[in-house]
Amino acid sequence: MSQKNNNIKQVAIIGAGPAGLQAATVLSQNQVQVLLIDKQAKTGGHLEKWSHLFPDSRPSNEILKVLQQGIQKENIQFFKNKRVSKISKSNGQWELGTDDGLVINSDAVVIATGFNTFDAHQKEEYGYGIYPAVVTSENLESIFKGETTWPFNSSGKDLRFGIVHCVGSRDAKCGNLYCSKVCCVTAVKQAIELKKKFPGATVYCFYMDMRMFGTGYEELYQEAQTKYNIQFIRGRLSEASPSQDNRLQVKAEDTLLGRPAKLTLDMLVLMVGMIPAVSLEMKNDAVYLNQPAYGSSFITPDDVFLKMNHHQQAGLFITGACKGPASIPEVLQDAKATSIEVLNYFNNKIK
Amino acid sequence: MAGTKFGFFDANVRSINLDVETPETIEGVLHREPSLLKCIGCGNCAAMCTAGHFTDLRFYRLNLYLKRGLVNEIRKEAQNCMLCGKCQLTCPRGVNIRHAILLMSSIRP
Repeated sequence: MSQKNNNIKQVAIIGAGPAGLQAATVLSQNQVQVLLIDKQAKTGGHLEKWSHLFPDSRPSNEILKVLQQGIQKENIQFFKNKRVSKISKSNGQWELGTDDGLVINSDAVVIATGFNTFDAHQKEEYGYGIYPAVVTSENLESIFKGETTWPFNSSGKDLRFGIVHCVGSRDAKCGNLYCSKVCCVTAVKQAIELKKKFPGATVYCFYMDMRMFGTGYEELYQEAQTKYNIQFIRGRLSEASPSQDNRLQVKAEDTLLGRPAKLTLDMLVLMVGMIPAVSLEMKNDAVYLNQPAYGSSFITPDDVFLKMNHHQQAGLFITGACKGPASIPEVLQDAKATSIEVLNYFNNKIK
Repeated sequence: MAGTKFGFFDANVRSINLDVETPETIEGVLHREPSLLKCIGCGNCAAMCTAGHFTDLRFYRLNLYLKRGLVNEIRKEAQNCMLCGKCQLTCPRGVNIRHAILLMSSIRP
């Protein structure tokens, strides 16, 4: 580790996804020494797995490139394959301990641990891991990137795809009552992309509510209806099973008509929600970063209006999707806001 | 009810089979009135509908029947419309409902 210069402040950022990279960029631009730590060998987090981003189908590597260029500075040090498990503070200094015994010291800590995608195996009735034609939204992005192949005969005619919204979200059985927010628009984006790749295909979206909250999202939804003729059916799938011709047979209630529907599909895409990546536990003046359990909540800010980027402990900051489901633009703006708060803390403007 | 003689009858199948190919008549209606694709099923048309107080007419449902390929349901319900046009005034997505109703009520089996 570099020598400690008393005039130069050090910040440890846990997580090198979009939020961590953005915060590292801004803080290093403001003469803060950044210690960036990630459990993975490379930076980028989930963004690295995505092919294109909503709402305008921007290639995700364009964004990733800018973020990764931002940390190519002398005052940023990247610690890879390190999982921080404990943070404690004494005499205004933070000490971070990793699983493999490394100790990192800093003047402030930013938690940017983000999220995990919901494990679709838990919804057994959809047959993920049982039928190869059932994939997650994350798997579909990797197919779009050409890293994996289509789970059906892609030269076939009259292909039929189903997309299930809210998988692992708004579902008390999964321990997650919240809405993961970004899945609706991801579903619409992926439905359009499927239709562009297979113009003769029919695409069904099974939704509970269409939550098109962001600028341009509702317009994208209307474009999916009118330009791409995507079929939206209000109602969740009850189950997926193999059909006689080795495709997928699915059943759902069409709740707007109040009648059950059944159909045969070539691929079923599950819109997996976001779940916390770490669960914070305060014990003996230290903060422990634990593996989340069933029903674990995201990290709660000190004040959801006024101290959105602060943990209750002075000098400990939280940014990005570790606080709850968020889109990439939201996370980037949040990381910039957090950086300002860290600088204010260093300048003794906040306690 | 048919065939009650032996103590059983053919139940009406209520489930919608989406594997059945969409009839050409329906494709024709969607082609001639593409604004039907904009519907989000909010129900404003039905809440405004005078005929809906006395009959089964719900325009958003007619549109759903159309998209699910249910020809018989459409013809039966579309005849109840009086073409007053209040639904069209209130529709947030700007669906040309009166034209759609005229096309729907002229669907032949």
